[in-house]
Amino acid sequence: MAHHIEGSRNSCALHGALQVIEAIEGVVPVIHSTAGCGVQHFLGVNRLNAGADRFGGPPVSNSNISEKHVVFGGSSRLREQLKNTVKIVEGDLYVIVTGCSTEMVGDDIPAMTKEGRDQDFQVIYANTPGFRGDVHLGYQLAVKALIEQLPSLGKGEQSPIEGLVNIWGIVPHQDPFWAGNLEEIGRLLEGIGLKPNLLFGYGQGLTAWNRVPKAALNVVVSVWGDAPALLLEERYGAQVLRLEGLPVGSAAGRFLQTVGDRLNLDVTRTENFIKSEEKRLSTYLASIADTYYRAGFQREFALIGESAQVVGISEFLAGTLGLIPRTLIITDNPPENVREALLTTLTGLVENSGTEVFFSEDLAEITDIVRSAAVELVLGSALEEPVAVELGVPFLQLSFPLSKQVVLSRGYAGYRGAATLLEDFGSAILSKGYNSHISQESQVHTASESALYGS
Amino acid sequence: MSLLKAKSSRTREKRLDTLNAWQGNVSAAVTEFSDGEPVKRIRTFSQSTQDDLLYALRLLAAIRNSVSVIHAGRGCVAAGLFHQVTKGNGRWIVTNLDDRDTIMGADLKLRKAIKEVYHRYKPEVIFIVSSPIVAINNDDIQSVVEELHEELELDIVPIYVTGFASHHAVTGYDTTLHALLKYLAGKRGEHNKNNSVNLLSVAEHPDDRREAERILTSLGLELNILPDEASHGTFRHAAAARYSISLDQDTGNYLGITLRDEYGVPYAEASRPIGIGATGRWLSVAGKALGLDEAAVKLFHEQESERVQKALGDFNLNGVRVYLGLASATSFSVLSLIEELGGEVVGITVSRLDQLHKERLEELSSRYPVLQIHVADGQPFEEANIIKRLSPDLYLGDSAHLGQIGRLGIPVVSLEETPVLGYNGVIALARRFSAALLNRTFGAALARTPLPYKESWFRRSPNWHIKKEVK
Repeated sequence: MAHHIEGSRNSCALHGALQVIEAIEGVVPVIHSTAGCGVQHFLGVNRLNAGADRFGGPPVSNSNISEKHVVFGGSSRLREQLKNTVKIVEGDLYVIVTGCSTEMVGDDIPAMTKEGRDQDFQVIYANTPGFRGDVHLGYQLAVKALIEQLPSLGKGEQSPIEGLVNIWGIVPHQDPFWAGNLEEIGRLLEGIGLKPNLLFGYGQGLTAWNRVPKAALNVVVSVWGDAPALLLEERYGAQVLRLEGLPVGSAAGRFLQTVGDRLNLDVTRTENFIKSEEKRLSTYLASIADTYYRAGFQREFALIGESAQVVGISEFLAGTLGLIPRTLIITDNPPENVREALLTTLTGLVENSGTEVFFSEDLAEITDIVRSAAVELVLGSALEEPVAVELGVPFLQLSFPLSKQVVLSRGYAGYRGAATLLEDFGSAILSKGYNSHISQESQVHTASESALYGS
Repeated sequence: MSLLKAKSSRTREKRLDTLNAWQGNVSAAVTEFSDGEPVKRIRTFSQSTQDDLLYALRLLAAIRNSVSVIHAGRGCVAAGLFHQVTKGNGRWIVTNLDDRDTIMGADLKLRKAIKEVYHRYKPEVIFIVSSPIVAINNDDIQSVVEELHEELELDIVPIYVTGFASHHAVTGYDTTLHALLKYLAGKRGEHNKNNSVNLLSVAEHPDDRREAERILTSLGLELNILPDEASHGTFRHAAAARYSISLDQDTGNYLGITLRDEYGVPYAEASRPIGIGATGRWLSVAGKALGLDEAAVKLFHEQESERVQKALGDFNLNGVRVYLGLASATSFSVLSLIEELGGEVVGITVSRLDQLHKERLEELSSRYPVLQIHVADGQPFEEANIIKRLSPDLYLGDSAHLGQIGRLGIPVVSLEETPVLGYNGVIALARRFSAALLNRTFGAALARTPLPYKESWFRRSPNWHIKKEVK
């Protein structure tokens, strides 16, 4: 039984589906639900990612069902809404998505979709009521609908495309840096001679989606990309490569190496590319060294975010920058079967550091954990700002929801992302003041103590 | 019968014949409301819009020392997240109803959530906000309220919003205000009168509230402000106040008339104090009702007006054609401000039209019988169509879709988070107008991105999808 949640940051399935649809050019969501569902999404998701306004406002088509439709069924209202959406709103594909009310009423969405198809509307559907799950489920449902239903529209490409790589598991807006992260992963793959299929963001429309079955490899950045990759493996026999998290800094080099091995790419080309990227990053690190020492960048930190983000960012902060991961809180409810692996990876980032890992999406619980952690730096969402202020430590917003950041093309993935992350968290430290705050709870963790603590 | 005996307030459409879909000129609007109940219209194509649940959340965000438990699927609290992280308001718990709960009901879950948040935060009051799921499966909230009220010795206030029973989000304010008075104001006749004046401020900008406070306290009034920033005791105090005045006759209407009819607190309704003239009129209505020294009120108004005039300097809107896309009461009041500044309003979109606006419509129709009025909440496809035909010089709006209006290439000023009330409001607005007209490059840059609509839509009449409801 699902538990109640304070300050929920994982929204609902309908909103997750909208995030997918809004991030694909030429695709238009048709919401079949009560009037407020789209505005909830606009206020609670788009506006908390300033720079996420594709349509210039809340969703452009919503059946806004009223009492009459709850009592007598809303299928006829959907029929009318779909017909008029196709007439009014510019689009290559229309996706019907549902909310709690119409699912409880039991409107027959597949039948309505079929009716639309019979009139030559380019339309598919996904059942996405919020009572079924959160934003990550919505991502999976919408992606599944696209993979399964697009081929039946008959626009798929016939010939395989050499070196094509699909990227899965970055949920638009739930990762506020999704667009920049995808672009950087794309740039890296291009660097070793591949053709990335980013699927979301600028320039990504149905052409990209129709190419999906033709990819040689499906890269899964977070556990939420597992479902589409497995579906494609099953249907088209495409290879799957699972990453432990977002590849940040040198992890990106290891990622490229693995991809190169899998696809038998030219080893020298891959190595040279990685070498030049590494060199640039090393130069940046050397340029920041004076500030790093002077301002005391080497701190114990708490990081609160989605699993792929927490793995990627803490791996870079701990593995390259020498910071100490004290408290890591994973907020996206990864399934039980991947939690063990996450724990092993994260607690092993710095030997004997006593890193603690938690899984929670409840603000009260998260606040308690951070409060008792006595860290010197907090990286999290806008929801963690009050506790960071209370602790008197530098704070950076980097996970959803954001309230004080405009994000358009920045990202933390790859080599460029590593430099951006260094800029952002360094700026947070500088703007707060160099000296870390010593409070009643402050404690010096020694290696031996921590070893005991962590065991 | 006592208004507050009812479980909830009546919807706006039932209480005030409110329309949410209409287009025509002012004199046609007057006729519409003069010939008995106007015919309800519906849309055959619609876009996402505010609903009563969203307005309930917005109002509750501003109540101090409270916790809101949203008895709903997990997405229904998304807007709460917005209020929390952008304004630092509210504490939101969602019961996170799942598949099973939609069939079996979930009052146990609700009980558990309330008890936990009570023990953690010890708030003065807990709100339970219902939702589409709960309205459809008829979960029994009332018995949870009664049992836990006794067990925890705490006020627990149920707010019966549904997301679909009304076409008007503003019904959500009424529903919430009904519940706040019903559960927190006490029984009729048990109060000792106090000397304060209720200032009814419903989801106003904090600077606007401060401006109204500044004006009224400088005239020696003792204020009891609600529901914005109210706490538990404010509502009880309100029931014994000597008068109520509102900052918005539209949003504050239900609160004003219920305090009047239920507790005998007289209520003065006046147009929103937007612009120098309207602020003066609002102040004089309040002054007369409260028996303030007429000369003192007049002197204050003159001094303040002079200060505003001085700040405005040569600024005016002479020859500027303005379109308004605002909440109803705000729209009618901003219209007078634009006139005051020498501009011309060429069309307006209001979120709703009802019996409360009749007088204002009549007054307008005597001066501008052919002025176009469009009634819509969050229907930018219609608005864009109208505005494209009118090509105004300036657009003032408070909706979430200004990003679309901007793509039409005209200067846009948002009133959503800009203070507008009183003397200071005039100065704040004039500065925004001036900047918008002085440099129009952003509009030109936005115009390079097309609107999401097909060209053929703009050849249709804007009210193409507004039809009379077949019952």
